[in-house]
Amino acid sequence: MILNIMIREIQHNLLSLRLQIAFILSIVIFSLGSIAFIKSHADNVAEYKRYHNDFIENMREDAEENLTQMAINSRQLIMAPRGSNFIDDAKERYTPNRFYFSAYNIFGYDVNPGSTNPFLNAFQELNWIFIVSVIISFTVLLFTFDTVSGEKEHKTLAISLANSLSRGNLLFGKYLSVILTTLLILLPGLCLSLIIILLSGSVAIHFNLILEIAGFLLAAIILTACIAAFGLLASVLTYSARTSLLYALCFWLLFISFMPNTAVFWASTIFPIEKGESVEERIRREQEDINNNAPPGSWSSSGGNPFLPQHELRANNQTNLMNARVSITKAYYNTRFQQFERVKLLTFLSPVSLYSYLNESIVGGGYPRFQKVWNDLHGYQAQLLQFFKEKDANDPDSPHWYNPYEDYSTTRKPAKFEEVPIFEEKPLSFPERFKYAGLYLLVLVLYTAGIFILAFVRFLKYDVR
Amino acid sequence: MIQHIALKEFYNNLVSVRFTVGFILCLFLIPFILFVSIYDYKSQVQAYEVDKQRAEERDQVRVYSAYRPDIVKKPEPLGIFCKGINFNVGNRVRIWFGVKPLLASGDSSARENPHLNAFLTIDFVSILAILMSLLAILFTYDACSGERETGTFKLLLSNSIERYKILLGKILGVILTLLPVLLICYVLSILIMVLFGIASFSWHDFLRIGLLFGLSVVFFLLFIALGIFISSRTQSSVTSVIVCLFIWATVVFVVPNLSVYFAQSFVKVRSQENLESSLSELNREFYKKYEEISNELENPDIWFMHFNHNGGADGYRELAGTADKTYEYYRQLNIHTVPLGIENADKKWAIQKAYFDELEQQRHTAEWLALLSPSEVFRLAASALCRTDVDSHLRFLDRTRQYREELIQFFQDEKIFDSFQYFTRVPPEKFRSADEIIEITTNGKLKSRDEYQTWAQNRSDIFSIFAAQLPEPERRNDYYETLDLSNVPKFQYKPNRILDDLKHSLSKIAAMFILSVLLFYLAFISFIRYDVR
Repeated sequence: MILNIMIREIQHNLLSLRLQIAFILSIVIFSLGSIAFIKSHADNVAEYKRYHNDFIENMREDAEENLTQMAINSRQLIMAPRGSNFIDDAKERYTPNRFYFSAYNIFGYDVNPGSTNPFLNAFQELNWIFIVSVIISFTVLLFTFDTVSGEKEHKTLAISLANSLSRGNLLFGKYLSVILTTLLILLPGLCLSLIIILLSGSVAIHFNLILEIAGFLLAAIILTACIAAFGLLASVLTYSARTSLLYALCFWLLFISFMPNTAVFWASTIFPIEKGESVEERIRREQEDINNNAPPGSWSSSGGNPFLPQHELRANNQTNLMNARVSITKAYYNTRFQQFERVKLLTFLSPVSLYSYLNESIVGGGYPRFQKVWNDLHGYQAQLLQFFKEKDANDPDSPHWYNPYEDYSTTRKPAKFEEVPIFEEKPLSFPERFKYAGLYLLVLVLYTAGIFILAFVRFLKYDVR
Repeated sequence: MIQHIALKEFYNNLVSVRFTVGFILCLFLIPFILFVSIYDYKSQVQAYEVDKQRAEERDQVRVYSAYRPDIVKKPEPLGIFCKGINFNVGNRVRIWFGVKPLLASGDSSARENPHLNAFLTIDFVSILAILMSLLAILFTYDACSGERETGTFKLLLSNSIERYKILLGKILGVILTLLPVLLICYVLSILIMVLFGIASFSWHDFLRIGLLFGLSVVFFLLFIALGIFISSRTQSSVTSVIVCLFIWATVVFVVPNLSVYFAQSFVKVRSQENLESSLSELNREFYKKYEEISNELENPDIWFMHFNHNGGADGYRELAGTADKTYEYYRQLNIHTVPLGIENADKKWAIQKAYFDELEQQRHTAEWLALLSPSEVFRLAASALCRTDVDSHLRFLDRTRQYREELIQFFQDEKIFDSFQYFTRVPPEKFRSADEIIEITTNGKLKSRDEYQTWAQNRSDIFSIFAAQLPEPERRNDYYETLDLSNVPKFQYKPNRILDDLKHSLSKIAAMFILSVLLFYLAFISFIRYDVR
């Protein structure tokens, strides 16, 4: 019986104006988004290649001239443009995407100001996730808001239920039909977009990408199911389709605009963190203490004589200064991470936000990607330092007093650049992605089930007369 | 008769669920968003106070070369209504001769955690644009089609009443219903601001708020016109609402993102790394010339005890305790290199300007594309009224560059670059020769530099002969008060007049208004031919 209802509903939907408009809109935005992606991705890749070549050349010059310079020079690592940006850019242009490190330390991270034009408003790229979270979710609500209340107004609901048909089956049939109809809108646009992008050659198809697309589709279906459940809820809450539409639009506005866009306010009021300036002040005070308590001669130096005994004191002092900075900033960064993760939990109320978190985990971008690079970079820094220390140990002209900032008391010999470890960003493995995605997936599914059950219970008591 | 219809529509609307829901939504969302904006504004003010204090501390200098004032931009209270680009750009500009200020630095944003950039923010104008356009559509989509469906249209037209009067009455009814809601939103927002102590509005600002209200009315009329027009073109209210809502979602949510995304994708801006490397290249050339000049000048030996020397080739230098020849050497160096530094800044500006033009071109493209969306036009005009638009910010930056020129002119007119005061607080009459310094700092044990050099030969404790404390404290910079800078030109910035601010937006607002009138006109034509059966 469910099948009959579904077929009837889908046939009805297929002929509806809303499907036609949504279909055209989806095709147009998928195409425009893909074209813009191809252009911007090509530019970003070219720009990144130039930057990366400079980065490597810089390091090569240092290594082939003086290993200590290679170790102490602070370097900037910028995250490479991600091929799966056309699925979800995860707002990587606005979030931390640049890291500062040397062989001794990871100094910090920030947002590369070059990744945005300050005169333009923050925007969402017209990628697949935008289409699903804005256009598709809106369409789903327009498909569902009058499912029950509209039928009641036309008196067809009473007739339908006069047959030997359970209310559960009727509602579930309608529900599934909306999800399937939405897929009919989504899939052609998605295929078109994929064809445009693959034909342009800007992104190569590979197994990971196929998995990411499959994951995206799964997430899109779950979001569709969730929004459809909200649409049904709006429909069964009232006896008039107009009022249902109002409720549905209210849900949509809250999910799309209000909840995610007030997160920054909640973050700063409910989970405040220390100001960056005050952290810098603490570092300054601690470093001042270290300098005041340093043994005499800790600032003496002689560029010509590495073995000057004061160089050891100087190296120790600089190491202490660095360690003071590292321990304070590390703790501060952890509070940043915690604040962000907590405020994300608050936005779990919006299925659209949950969906975007789920997607960024699936494509391995955004915050999970940042965390991966951040952790891997720490591993790499340890490896680079180890390499430097090994080379330094073999140099009889070095006193081996490790100074993290200055070239006084460690090896000044060159090294073959081929031997120097180079950082390469590894994409998140699928188990790693699932570690992040699992929670969002679970919450979104439970959320969907909860809202559907609510709609179902309300429908059981619905007066169809 | 029009009045009767308008009143009937008004009463009908007033008791409708859509009015209740819409009104509650406005009453709940608008104050909340306003509260968030006030919170952000207060954080900005706090940050401004700190920055301002730091800037004042920075102005306490002992030499002119250290005078590099920080201009801190005061947060704009009208930004509570429309944040514009407030949170994208910095609030601080450092004025110095080595470079012309291109963009503001410093963080005007209340956002401490860059991870939170993953969330966008929303302001009063944006939420108003979303809600008022939605309400306008929800109150008009069934103006014709709805009455046709319920059969009341035929009844209405069976009376001796012209069709245009019915439509006019309906339009007036909707305006009568929603205009007070809009007005309440504004009154409420002003009350909330007064309640939170944001009372620094001048009458000019109130005029701007009044114009913002007028702008909101134009925007709102456009959507009423759109709703009425679509309703008059369709036979069923479901069709009408679907078409209206898709248009609404497209212009409010899709086009604003599309315009910026397209501008960023198709109008290329060189990378900042690229810009930095071009500037570094010019700097390298400058330092090379600087070195050549310093080598050409007669270079005295400058290694004396109790000698304070900070700064370098970038123009800043603070010097004291040294010999008269050394002072003269640096004065000569400044005479030759400071104009070179200023010239280098002009050369760098050519590159910076090219970068800046690219940013601007990208912005103009985005704004042109945004003309497709009335909500974006409304937002852009509102940000101009609230002085948070790009043009207002650029005027501020222009003014900082002008101020830099004024400062250079002042330094040149007063011959400060050529003076000792540019790099030392020690007055020339206190300068001593190298031999005198040796005599004083060794408490008379040695009489001249030559004696000192003979004494120091083959010794490791070459500093041991000098007194621990400088016998003549007046030869140190910190012996003196900081410079009196009261005669130095101060930065002054007058924001634009309202009309100037609206200059760029007027055509867009007029276009919005004309489009509304056109849609109303088309709606009238359609309505006169409407099949009411």
